[in-house]
Amino acid sequence: MDASNPFDLRCLLDNVQGMVDALTCLRWKKQQDSIVELSDHGLVITVEERGCLQARVYFRKELFREYAYQAEVRPKFGISLGLLIDSLNTFTSSTRAAALELSYPGPDMQMIFKLVDANDSCIYAEMRTRIPDQIPHDYVIEDDGGTPISFAVKSAALKEALDDLEWPGSSIEITVSPVPPRVTFRGDGHGDLQIEFPYDRQRDLFIAFNCQREISYRYKYKFLKATTSQIPVSILKDNRGSKLTFGTNGLLKVQHLISVKPSPTPHQHYYDPSQAQARVSYIEFYVLPDVDSDDP
Amino acid sequence: MKFKAFLTDHGVTLLERRFLPAFEKIGKTCHIYLTPVHFILLHNVLNSDGVQAIAQFSKDAVFDDYRISSQNQNRIAFTVDLALLLRALKSSVSIYGDRLQLKLVRKRPSLSERPMPYLTFESKGLKSAIIQDVPISQPLNRIDVEALQSSLDMAQELPRTLVQVPGLQNLQGLIDRLGKLGDVLEVAVTQYGDLHLQVSQTMVSIGSEYRKLRVLGVRSDPTSTGSASSSASRLQQAIQKGEASRVLVNMKHFAKSLQCHLTRPDAAFCGVGELDSCLFMMFQYFIPGTRLTDNTISLHYRLPVLDPGVV
Repeated sequence: MDASNPFDLRCLLDNVQGMVDALTCLRWKKQQDSIVELSDHGLVITVEERGCLQARVYFRKELFREYAYQAEVRPKFGISLGLLIDSLNTFTSSTRAAALELSYPGPDMQMIFKLVDANDSCIYAEMRTRIPDQIPHDYVIEDDGGTPISFAVKSAALKEALDDLEWPGSSIEITVSPVPPRVTFRGDGHGDLQIEFPYDRQRDLFIAFNCQREISYRYKYKFLKATTSQIPVSILKDNRGSKLTFGTNGLLKVQHLISVKPSPTPHQHYYDPSQAQARVSYIEFYVLPDVDSDDP
Repeated sequence: MKFKAFLTDHGVTLLERRFLPAFEKIGKTCHIYLTPVHFILLHNVLNSDGVQAIAQFSKDAVFDDYRISSQNQNRIAFTVDLALLLRALKSSVSIYGDRLQLKLVRKRPSLSERPMPYLTFESKGLKSAIIQDVPISQPLNRIDVEALQSSLDMAQELPRTLVQVPGLQNLQGLIDRLGKLGDVLEVAVTQYGDLHLQVSQTMVSIGSEYRKLRVLGVRSDPTSTGSASSSASRLQQAIQKGEASRVLVNMKHFAKSLQCHLTRPDAAFCGVGELDSCLFMMFQYFIPGTRLTDNTISLHYRLPVLDPGVV
């Protein structure tokens, strides 16, 4: 272990706002505990509603200006998501392009944040962490050996459809069929509402569509809605797209791609594609099918 | 008891665009205190809780042809509703008139009622005149006027050390965000020119440290802080040496007092009152086009300090 750096992780982040936006997507209710896992590849933050819904956001190490990891066992700790977002948000009030330094663990296992501005002013925070009582479940999309059924649409379109389905509420049936190629969202509760996304190669609603056989699963509306309800407008505008993948047991994975753009630096005028690729972060939601349903 | 004066253009701008909107952010009403030399707005000075604000103008900064007389050493004070005052001022400005006259009058709202005191705005145009009556409280009695005067005198006692607050707009952004994490703000001022703002709660402590700010009053050499590397330890050392003061204030009070940016101050200073009695904020205004302090205008706020035991 490096004697000058006593931390398991010490990293520098340029774009705090990007991290705040990504974490905000996970905040579907007020009090939420999250599990942070550190590794050589980056940082994963997981929020879970046991047995119903799980969300993860990945911050790969390429997103950081510096990333020094030196733990032997991957550290895992619990932290309040709301507090983490509100604390990180405080650092966005700094106008100058200074990087946020994140270190773990402090003397009392805290997560330590520090941002030093020009002229020596600084913003600092110490967040207490706790030992997680449950390890988040590792959900995997079972694929029967073939390619799992999936489609990708613009995030804004998906969000709009799910917002509209609030009116019937309760449970939503998603049907993906190959002939004619389309996706149908159907809600019945106080009334019926059906929203259809017809696949048309010429139009730009779909980014991808992959379906060999018809499938249909039901999901609780409140969990489905959580996958898009908190996406900040800045991410929707960017419109990188959302991908929905269905496992054989009905497990739904919703994946949002978001750009975490670095704060513009005056010295950087050239465009570096590898850099651009590195500035993408993933948010994944796993929604379990509604168990009361009669569907397969 | 008589008061009559003409508002100057500069006076109208000062009140309508800057000071009344700032006062309106901290409270609904304020005292207006008129003396033979000053026009003073005071908010909340007769109470001990809440933000106190005092804006003092020399009469010539705001008025022309200023006439005042009363049996109480030619001093008059009363309470006015800020929204009404601002509305009357705004609509008087929108009429192209000659000069805007202010005077104290007593009128009967209706024949059956007793005469009530009003502050009257009278703007005379070429062919028309607009008169607006803003209801005010009964003039304050001798004892209350004395209380206002003593709170004014007390405000002359500045903290031993004041540091210049950096960028008010930026600070407001920080306070808006810190406000989500706690209701109590810890403010510390050191004689080296450091300002610490911190929120602490069970799960998180978060704060900001500004260093090497301009100092008014008692100052010390920052090199004597030694090699402390973190802001918390630097502050702790300074407090132990008696070179810093730290108080707790209500977050909402602090956020409200930052609304002073509406008065467009050229410099803002912050300090802790004697015996940690209050948090003091003072604002300076420059004579337009210069960097000289305009001594005809002054504004300061006093924030009540919370008892650490109770918090």
